[in-house]
This record gives sequence, C-alpha cells and structure tokens, in this order.
Amino acid sequence: MENKFKKITSLWIITVLILFVVAIILGLLMRFNQGGNIKLDPVTFYTDMTIHGLTMIGIWFVAGMAAVNYIMERYVRTSYKANLIAYIMTVVGVLMLWGAGFIGKFHAGWTFLYPLPFKIMWEQWATPLFLYALLVLGVGWTIWTVSLMISLLKKYTLSQVFAWQHFKRDAKPEVETPPFVLISMISLVGVLSCLITAAALDFLLLTEYYSNGGFINDALLMKNLTYFFGHTLANEMLYLGLAVIYELFSEVSGRPKWKTSWYVAYAWNLTLFFVLFAFLHHMYMDFVQPETLQIIGQLASYLASIPSTGVTIFSILVAVYGTKINWNLANLMFFIGTAGWVSGGIGAVIDATISNNFLLHNTLWVPAHFHTYNALGNVLFSLGFFYWFSFQLKDGIIKDKHSMLKILLIVIGGIGFLAAFYFAGADSVARRYANYPEEMASGKFWATFGGTFATIYLLGIILFIGGILKRCFGFVFSRV
Amino acid sequence: MQSLLLYLFLILTVVSTSVFIYVYRSSIKAGDKDGGLTNVLTKRMWFILILFVVLAIFFSATVPKSPYFMFKDEIPSKSVNVTAGQYFFYMSYSAINPDAPTSEPIELGVNELVEFRVTSRDVTHTFAVYDENNQVVAQTQAMPGYVNNLRWKFEKPGTYKIFCLEYCGAGHHIMRGSFTVK
Ligand code: HEM
Ligand SMILES: [Cu+2]
Repeated sequence: MENKFKKITSLWIITVLILFVVAIILGLLMRFNQGGNIKLDPVTFYTDMTIHGLTMIGIWFVAGMAAVNYIMERYVRTSYKANLIAYIMTVVGVLMLWGAGFIGKFHAGWTFLYPLPFKIMWEQWATPLFLYALLVLGVGWTIWTVSLMISLLKKYTLSQVFAWQHFKRDAKPEVETPPFVLISMISLVGVLSCLITAAALDFLLLTEYYSNGGFINDALLMKNLTYFFGHTLANEMLYLGLAVIYELFSEVSGRPKWKTSWYVAYAWNLTLFFVLFAFLHHMYMDFVQPETLQIIGQLASYLASIPSTGVTIFSILVAVYGTKINWNLANLMFFIGTAGWVSGGIGAVIDATISNNFLLHNTLWVPAHFHTYNALGNVLFSLGFFYWFSFQLKDGIIKDKHSMLKILLIVIGGIGFLAAFYFAGADSVARRYANYPEEMASGKFWATFGGTFATIYLLGIILFIGGILKRCFGFVFSRV
Repeated sequence: MQSLLLYLFLILTVVSTSVFIYVYRSSIKAGDKDGGLTNVLTKRMWFILILFVVLAIFFSATVPKSPYFMFKDEIPSKSVNVTAGQYFFYMSYSAINPDAPTSEPIELGVNELVEFRVTSRDVTHTFAVYDENNQVVAQTQAMPGYVNNLRWKFEKPGTYKIFCLEYCGAGHHIMRGSFTVK
C-alpha cells in the first residue's frame, strides 16, 4: 500500500477524532443545560444542538468513507486526488458550518427543516453561508463517491459489482465478488442517492432565497426530501462500517476470510432497495401524506431489519460461536458495536410502527435509538478500524493496553447515557428542548443522569483514542 | 402504553445482548479446537422465517391502529381549528385568520368525537396533546400550507396541555396551550 494513502487516512482519522471530542463536549453542554446544572441561553443551546448534529453526522460519514477507501485499495486502484479533494472540501465545509453556527448563530437544527432556515433569527448572512457550506460538502463528497464507484466498475462489471453471479445457490462463478466490494458498492449507490437529493434540496432552498418571494417551496415535498437525505445518509454511514467489518473481522480474528454466498448477495441487494423507502417513517405524523406511503414506510422499515439481522448479524454470531478468536480491541469494538446496533434497531423498529410513533414521535425516544446505533454502534465500528489501522502504520501487530478499562468506560458510560434518553422518551419528554417545562420534570433528572454517564463515555473515548492519535500524528509528520 | 413499549424494548435488548455475551463466552471457552455451530444454513433460515412471521404479526396487528384510520366512519360532533405559530397555539371553533390570529377557550365533552384541524402560519410545529399525567395521548404535525385532521375522543375529564414537538426556533420549548374536557 502506498504511503500517501496511509497519510491521508491518518489525516482523516485525526480530524474525525478531534471533531468527535468537540462534538461530545457540545452534547454534554446540552445535557447539563437540560438538567439545570449549567445555564445556556436558548439560542446558544440550539446553536450547539445544530452544530453537534451536523458535525457528528458529517464526521462518521467521512470516517466510513475513509475506511472504505483505504481497504478498497486492496482490490482496485482508487483516486488519491478525489480523496484529497474530499478532505479539503470537508474541512472547508465544516469551517463554514461552524462559522454559520458559532459566529452567525444559525440554529435551524441539523435537519434545517423548510421553511425554518428562512425565518431569520440569526445573522442575515448565516443562512446563505449555511446553504453554501452544504454545497461545498455535497460537491466534495459526490466527487469522492463517484470516483470510488468508477474505481470498482473499472474492475467489476455492473452485475459483478452487485454480486448477481452469486445468486444461484451453488454457483461457482469465474469472478468472485468479495463481500467488501459488494457492500461498498451498495452503500455508495445509497450515498449517491442521498447526495443527489441533498443537491436538489439545496438548489430549491437557494432558489427561494434569491427569488425575493417569487418562488415558494412546498413544505411537504421539502420534508420528504429532507428525510430522504437525512435518514438515508444516517443508514448508509452504518453500511460503510459494515463493509469494513465484513473485510476485517475475520482478518483481525485470525480466521479464514469471508466469502460472498448466495444469501449475502441477496441480502445486500434487497437492502439497497428497502432502505430507500424507510425514510417515510419520518412522515407518519403528517396526516396529509398519502396513506399508502405511510404504510409502505412501516413495511420497508420492518423488512429492512430482516437481511441485516438474518444475514450480517447472524454471520457475526456464527463466526464467533464456539470458535477460537484472537480477541483484541479492534474486533471487540466490532463485536460490541454489532450488539449496540441490534439494540438501536429494536428501538427503531418500535418507533417505526405508526401506532407507536403516534406517542413517541419527537420525544427523546428518537435521539435514544439513533444515539444507540451511533454512539454504541457505528462509532465503535469506525474506532475498531482506526485502532487496527494505527497499528498498520507500524508493524501491523495489535498491542492492547488497558483494554478492559477502556471498554468498561465506553460501554457503561454509553448505556447510562442512552438509558436516560429511553426512559425520558417513554415518559413523553420532548426532544430538542433547551429547558424542560414542569410537566416534563422527569426530563431534568434524566438529563443530569445521562450527562454524567456521557462524561464517563467521553473519558473512555479519550483513553481509547490517545494511542491512535499518537500513532497517526507520528506517521503524518514522518518523512516516509 | 408508553411504558409497555419501554418494557418491550428493555426485554428484547436484554435478550439480544445476552445472546452476544453468551456467544462471546463460548468463544473464550473454545480452546484450540473449533466447536462452532453446525447446520448453519438451516438455522439461519429458521431464524429468518421466525423473524418474518413475528414482524408480519406485529405489522398486521398495528397497521389498523394507525391514527389515519381512527374514527374514520364517524361524524365528529365538534371541530376545533388550530393554527400554530412561533411560539403560540391559537385554537378556535371558528376559522382563524393567519394574519391576525385569535384564540378562544376550548371545552370538549368526555367521549365526544372532536376533529382538530391543524395548520401553521409560519414554520412546521407539532400539535401534541398531553394528558393530566403528562403523557402524550395524540399528536399531528402543524405544517404551513397544509391542514392535518386529527380525530380523537377523550375518555377522561380534566385539563389537557398542548406542546410543540417539532423544532421551530429558540422558543420551541416555551410553546404551550391547553383545553378542558368535561
Ligand atoms: C456521548 C456522546 C454524545 C452526547 C453526550 C450527545 C448528546 C446529544 C444531545 C443532548 C442531543 C440533543 C437531544 C435532544 O433532542 O434534546 C443530541 C442530538 C443529536 N446527536 Fe448526539 N450526543 C452524543 C453522541 C452522538 C453521536 C456519536 C452522534 C452520531 C451521529 C450524534 C448525533 C446527534 C444528532 C444527529 C442529533 C440531533 C441534532 C438535532 O436535533 O438537530 N450524537 N446529542
Ligand atoms: Cu416547536
């Protein structure tokens, strides 16, 4: 592997980890404000919330992309230039977002639901800066995504890259598609569909912004676009992480490499399809949305869980059951992350049921489930990769230190932090409230509780990433 | 109902996490010879089949309870117009002028079918009804340019509170309203 790919990947990791710590601190500020332990004015709170959400989604998306790009180099030649452009545009885009937020006080939430960005409650320039920041990120990420897709398609035909030759049960195809290639391609297609939708959304917003009232958008259409983009992106982030796990879990465990079987091929092709409709569950409380779409939303959300549990999760459990594994912090992160992903998925399926959503929609149940499959799921997938990668910069031999302590802090901190969201959500405490009214008094208790455990989580994260940062920094500034 | 969902979640999560812990421990105990799972494909197919059946049962049990189908064939005895705006709820039996919205006190009867006609004069909000135990009983979005009709029968008398559940700006958490059921 060329050193420049190791360098750019190290740079991604350093950037992601630093932004992660900052974003967690913003999260802690929010939680302690909600608990009444500190006092922020509401504008500061909602600005923090907006920046926290956007930063977290952004960094864990690029973390997945960077990992996939690094591993893809094993199979095909990828473009270093595209990777570098994406890096530069990500840094610029994030700085613009932070400028719009921290300086311009833009606080429309990470979903910037139309027409909120146009109700200027902040600096006049913050809205266009925000919209252009999205454009910069969108362009950078589209270049990267398309470039990776092209790299794959140079080696594999369209049907091979989707592993269609594996559909027949005892097929012995001439060209085998590694699961990593299949899942990467499936995720990249999904990512591209999000980015195209985001471009359309950004275009419609900018058009209205510059039309001086001549052009007004339709709120229902905009909400559908917003959630197609937001929900699907959050899902694809996780799939990028899974592509890495299919490649690395066996390798770091000292086990034979996983192959694409007929059911793996089917499962991921089906996932590509189902996931495109799952976003509809964000629209359940919009009764004007056609009922057929609402029911498709519940159907797609339910069905999407079958290939993921029946194939991916089942396979991970089978790979471990009664089998000698070289356990280390990398595959432990993958394994614990999978368990977290399942728990978050259970919370998600409950909330994706229309009659439950009627009671849980936009309560703290929502951040409860998505923080579960992020903070104790996808983040751990990426951290496992970072950890493994940082040893690749030396001799490739993983040496764990204080693994028990790190895991305990992250897991116990994480569980307490998440439990607080679930318990409050089930007690009808609203999400996105800077302060809770007396009717939601239990929210205050749970906020302090959750914030305390999140501090433990942060401690675990800092211990965990210390060594990774040291090795990555060392490599970036070395002369290789 | 919400606490039922919480228990369901807790039980399922404890079960699934226990499976992970059990599998992890089986690996630690495995020693050098592999005693992995046999007949994996059959077990996998059984797992998928059972999951599919369970989901199908849940799906067919819950879809008819969706709010869109509730009280669909009945005629509401009262309708209440609701216009949400930063950061107020305006409620009235008669039409509300979005440019000069006014409110009147709302009083509903126990078990009387009401229809709330919910819209917004600026950004998207939510019209979420909380009962006297401060639990959500019903909700719908308040979206500019659209009217969402929410039908409901309140079984218990008392004061019901309204909160906004869609982030609408820095005053989101102070938006509130109420009505009484007698
Ligand atoms: C320990 C770490 C974390 C803490 C303390 C934290 C805290 C919070 C808090 C307090 C909120 C606002 C909840 C509310 O609606 O009242 C929030 C929202 C959010 N968080 Fe986190 N979070 C953490 C990790 C993460 C991670 C890993 C992600 C990864 C994607 C993430 C993504 C988000 C998003 C997207 C929102 C929604 C923002 C919005 O509503 O606009 N968070 N977080
Ligand atoms: Cu609101």
